[in-house]
Amino acid sequence: MGDGMESAGPSELVEDLFRREWTHLVAALVRLLGPAQLALAEDLVHDSLLSALQAWQLGPPDNPKAWLLQTAKHRAIDRIRRDRRFEAARPELGSEWTLARAVELALSPEADAENQLALMFAICDEALSPETHVTLILRLLCGLSAAEIARAFLVDVQTIDRRLHRARTRLEQLSELGDPRSAAELRARQPSLEQALYLLFNEGYHGASAEAPLQPATCADALRLAELLLSLDAEARPRVHALAALFCFNSARLATRVDDEGVFLPLGEQDRSRWNRDLLERGIRHLGSSAEGATLTRWHLEAGIAFEHTRAPSVRETDWERIVAYYDALLGLAPSPVVALNRGLALAELQGLDAGRAALAALADEPKLATYSFFWAGRADIERRAGRNVEARAFYQRAAVCARSAAERRSYERRLREFELCSVRRPDR
Amino acid sequence: MAKFMYIFRGGGYATPGALSPSELQQHLSRWNDWTNGLLKAGRHLGGQPLAHPPTGKTLRGRERSVTDGPYAESKDLVSGTVIVEAASLEEAAQLARDCPIFELDGSVEVRPVLQVPNG
Repeated sequence: MGDGMESAGPSELVEDLFRREWTHLVAALVRLLGPAQLALAEDLVHDSLLSALQAWQLGPPDNPKAWLLQTAKHRAIDRIRRDRRFEAARPELGSEWTLARAVELALSPEADAENQLALMFAICDEALSPETHVTLILRLLCGLSAAEIARAFLVDVQTIDRRLHRARTRLEQLSELGDPRSAAELRARQPSLEQALYLLFNEGYHGASAEAPLQPATCADALRLAELLLSLDAEARPRVHALAALFCFNSARLATRVDDEGVFLPLGEQDRSRWNRDLLERGIRHLGSSAEGATLTRWHLEAGIAFEHTRAPSVRETDWERIVAYYDALLGLAPSPVVALNRGLALAELQGLDAGRAALAALADEPKLATYSFFWAGRADIERRAGRNVEARAFYQRAAVCARSAAERRSYERRLREFELCSVRRPDR
Repeated sequence: MAKFMYIFRGGGYATPGALSPSELQQHLSRWNDWTNGLLKAGRHLGGQPLAHPPTGKTLRGRERSVTDGPYAESKDLVSGTVIVEAASLEEAAQLARDCPIFELDGSVEVRPVLQVPNG
């Protein structure tokens, strides 16, 4: 009864095997069959995963990855044999002599980076919105379901389904994915691709999703895809290194951003000894390589700011002068109310609370900040530190209303409770 | 101890596309935990998962008329069987309660296997 099986035990699966293989196989099949067959490629891969679900109920095989690859390969070959359409598009798929070899080459690990890059560039089409780029990347290159994406963006599944449908329809008009190494019109999309990865990372970092496990994975995906981009354009490489450095520094702090009770912790209260050393070092290497270019980009400045935070032993001992200078430069390069807000907060550290208060009050008419919780939380923190509890309380209440995640809202509610405790105690003294 | 057959219907097998790769892998890992629990307790005597996507042929009646494919709605599709050992039908049903198929709205039919008396 189960003899032998007990002692052997089930082999453990790599935690994100299905997600990684999904990405690898979808990118490979879309490249092989053409973007017009996007839905078919997704179905073939999903069916292979479902086969594994059936076949591995007693435990995974010795080489789960090879098993999935073989299954996907056989499914693809069967499907191509039954359909004459592919022959017209790609003659090598029409002959028994070359079919298996063509599929094998497409699915080989060596082709993976190219396939994913080609898919990324195709996704970052000017005709689609930046929001749609991120949605498609989350679906095709990170393996999230429409329901998971909807939870991340705090919208209903129908909205994501519609967005994916429109984007798929657009992609399906392409005859092939194209090669980002040689096609200049694809390479022109690199800035929108970088922007999409930046948004992708932020979705993981500041995302609205209450389900924490998705977030580190999303941040890790953004870093992985940025590092893939490094293999491409030598000229753009310093810029991409800066972006990767930014992702590394922020990822290193992910685990300390929420406490054991699921409450968002501000920088000053995070346990710096728990920041991820490996990621910090990887970030420093990227930052070093980012300095090789002639132009200073937004990513350079943001990575510089993140680096200053990670290398300081405490909030007090942070080089605020340098950070304010970076924010000044950033305001010149990519002005936005959020950058101005962060500059104001840095100014409060450098020049004192009055300077910070004035900088933030000057932004009060920015429509974008009216519902931005970090704006109200920033104002609240300044008033709390200045001992102006009435003002602070009103700002924290406003922040709690605008909070995008439960962890964030709870952190403001915690502050509000602290005020209540103070005001209850005070008359006793 | 008597033998019982679990007949699985529906579940992940019947909901293509709804789950993400990560969710599928987590679901698989719960299947492995459940199956290994039964194996460790010496209750699991072997299983027969069926291929996905569900294909097959059905032969029917004296005419042996043949139709392609399994003959059921997807939620009623049999996805596999397992033989377990249990003291009673009640205990066999109890052992099935933790099967992950219920997370995806599937079903487990528990049937006593005919015991042929030793002649």
